[in-house]
Amino acid sequence: MFHRDKIFKLSMLFPLCLLTAYFLLLLTSQTSFFSWSHFTNQLSQNDLQSAIALSLFAATVSSIIAMVIAIPSAYALARIHFPGKRFVDTFIDLPMVLTPIALGTLILMSWNTSVGRTLSGFGINLPFTVAGIILAQFTVIVAISIRMLKATFEQINPRQEQVARLLGCSAFGSFRYVTLPLAKRGILAAIILTWARAIGEFGATVMVAGTAKGQTATLPSSIYLAMSMADLPKAVTLVTILIAISLLVLFGVRKALELRI
Amino acid sequence: MIRAEGLIAQRGDFFLGPIDLDLGQDSYLTLLGPSGSGKTLFLEACMGLIPSSSGSVWLNGQDVTSSRPEHRHISYLPQDLALFPHLTVLENILFGAKRRGLDKNVTEDHLSNLQTLLNLHKIIDRNDVTSLSGGEKQRVALARALLPQPQVLFLDEPFSALDATIKRQLQVKLREISQQLNVTILHVTHDQEEAFMLGKKIAVMIQGKICQIGSRDDIYYRPETLEVARFLRNQNIFEMTAERILPDGSVEIGNEIRVAVPAHMNVEIGRRYATGIRSEEVVIIRPGKPLGLELQENLFQATVADILAFGGTHTLCVKLQESEVTIDVELPNCAMRDLGYAIGDDLQICLRKRSLWTIPLD
Repeated sequence: MFHRDKIFKLSMLFPLCLLTAYFLLLLTSQTSFFSWSHFTNQLSQNDLQSAIALSLFAATVSSIIAMVIAIPSAYALARIHFPGKRFVDTFIDLPMVLTPIALGTLILMSWNTSVGRTLSGFGINLPFTVAGIILAQFTVIVAISIRMLKATFEQINPRQEQVARLLGCSAFGSFRYVTLPLAKRGILAAIILTWARAIGEFGATVMVAGTAKGQTATLPSSIYLAMSMADLPKAVTLVTILIAISLLVLFGVRKALELRI
Repeated sequence: MIRAEGLIAQRGDFFLGPIDLDLGQDSYLTLLGPSGSGKTLFLEACMGLIPSSSGSVWLNGQDVTSSRPEHRHISYLPQDLALFPHLTVLENILFGAKRRGLDKNVTEDHLSNLQTLLNLHKIIDRNDVTSLSGGEKQRVALARALLPQPQVLFLDEPFSALDATIKRQLQVKLREISQQLNVTILHVTHDQEEAFMLGKKIAVMIQGKICQIGSRDDIYYRPETLEVARFLRNQNIFEMTAERILPDGSVEIGNEIRVAVPAHMNVEIGRRYATGIRSEEVVIIRPGKPLGLELQENLFQATVADILAFGGTHTLCVKLQESEVTIDVELPNCAMRDLGYAIGDDLQICLRKRSLWTIPLD
């Protein structure tokens, strides 16, 4: 290999090595505080179990709702021409750029509008409830799902849908038998990533639902609470669980994209 | 079978039509035109994939202009084939028959016919359509389009991505299919050889309009507009004025050179025309050989100015003596070898009267 080519490759690899080392440092930084007995002891505590269960439940429900909304929305943005499309396409990205704390504030404030008051009148109260957590997570993740799914639908050749129409499918039929199966891997990747984003959501969730132990405290808010009370063993346990979930998700996505599912 | 009446469609700034086209049962029409001339847009409007601005589409005597695509019973083979990669080869082929809920026994019989006709035996059990070769994909896509027994089959540049050998094999196969199966075919292509080889009738579309419809000879030898003549690679085109009627009834037209054109072309004296002759229709007169009657007029002395070698042919660019006019003469390689011309050689050529076409310019 030419000498200059080697220098070029090394100069590209160096920042990558630094970054990997930094992430490894972050991951291993808790090992000095970690003890297996503390870990098992913490896991047996009710409030921690409740936080784990609530996080898993809320992330799953909010991901399902986000997918139900995101799949048709992304398809509409990828395939259908309608007035104001460019505006809508940009506008729905707002939750991705807005800080989650601000997003949570807006959700709370929306409960003080006529729509919020009407819903409250029907007994639907989201602030400081599990439903509030789901709404906060949904608000944060739905834009990410739409963005991912729009890219997936755009990669599918529209001619395949047209041929399906001419072979006897209705518009929904061609979506059902051609588009959805072809988008399967993209949808799966979107589900996993949005679920991971939801389970780690903190800012909007804390603003909307608070951090009541055993009621609305999720894994991230429990970490915050544990650290604010200097309960290091608990914080380490929670962080370890979140790291395990995150790694599972990351490798799950990689596998889903590699395999022909 | 299928008829377009005053069909107008639009995509962005491009306007198609108005198009009037009528395809009878079992007919095979090739729609020939340069890229971007609106051929695919026309197919899409006929299939109901895009709305037409005005006009109508009729199928079997029924107005289907407002029918949904799935109700038109038109099968479609697009340029990129659009096979379904999530389905096996067999599932791809059966897709239309399943979705239309066709009778299983009839479908099985027809599938068996198609397997033989398209030589699908070796590939029908394959799982991954993406691993098929270009020709195999083509045959699978054709089988998928034909299995639901459509009344009309639209082919949109189906062979454009194939190499020459496979392309020729599939063209021959397609001609066989069109003769054996009771299906009306509208085949869009920019490939002139393909259009002339397959079409019983040919329509030429340029800039969103059909400029000429006719038989192979009509289109090839008697273009009706200058655009059609140029698109069909007529190299020898001259602007001339009709000057006088000759004793045999033919008309002499001239500018830098004078030629006699057939009388049946309704040439008016004093009017300006474009006249032309295909390069392969120009006859080289061999010295000392007796000339037939039709080779005794429109004779010119010329000098070889350039020689262009192509795969199977040579083109002599000859400059007519005592004028600035240059004429291309196409010769097959074997004739070129026999004649052995070189740049600077003198020769005599004949622009045979019956091979000349004229188009009014005003």
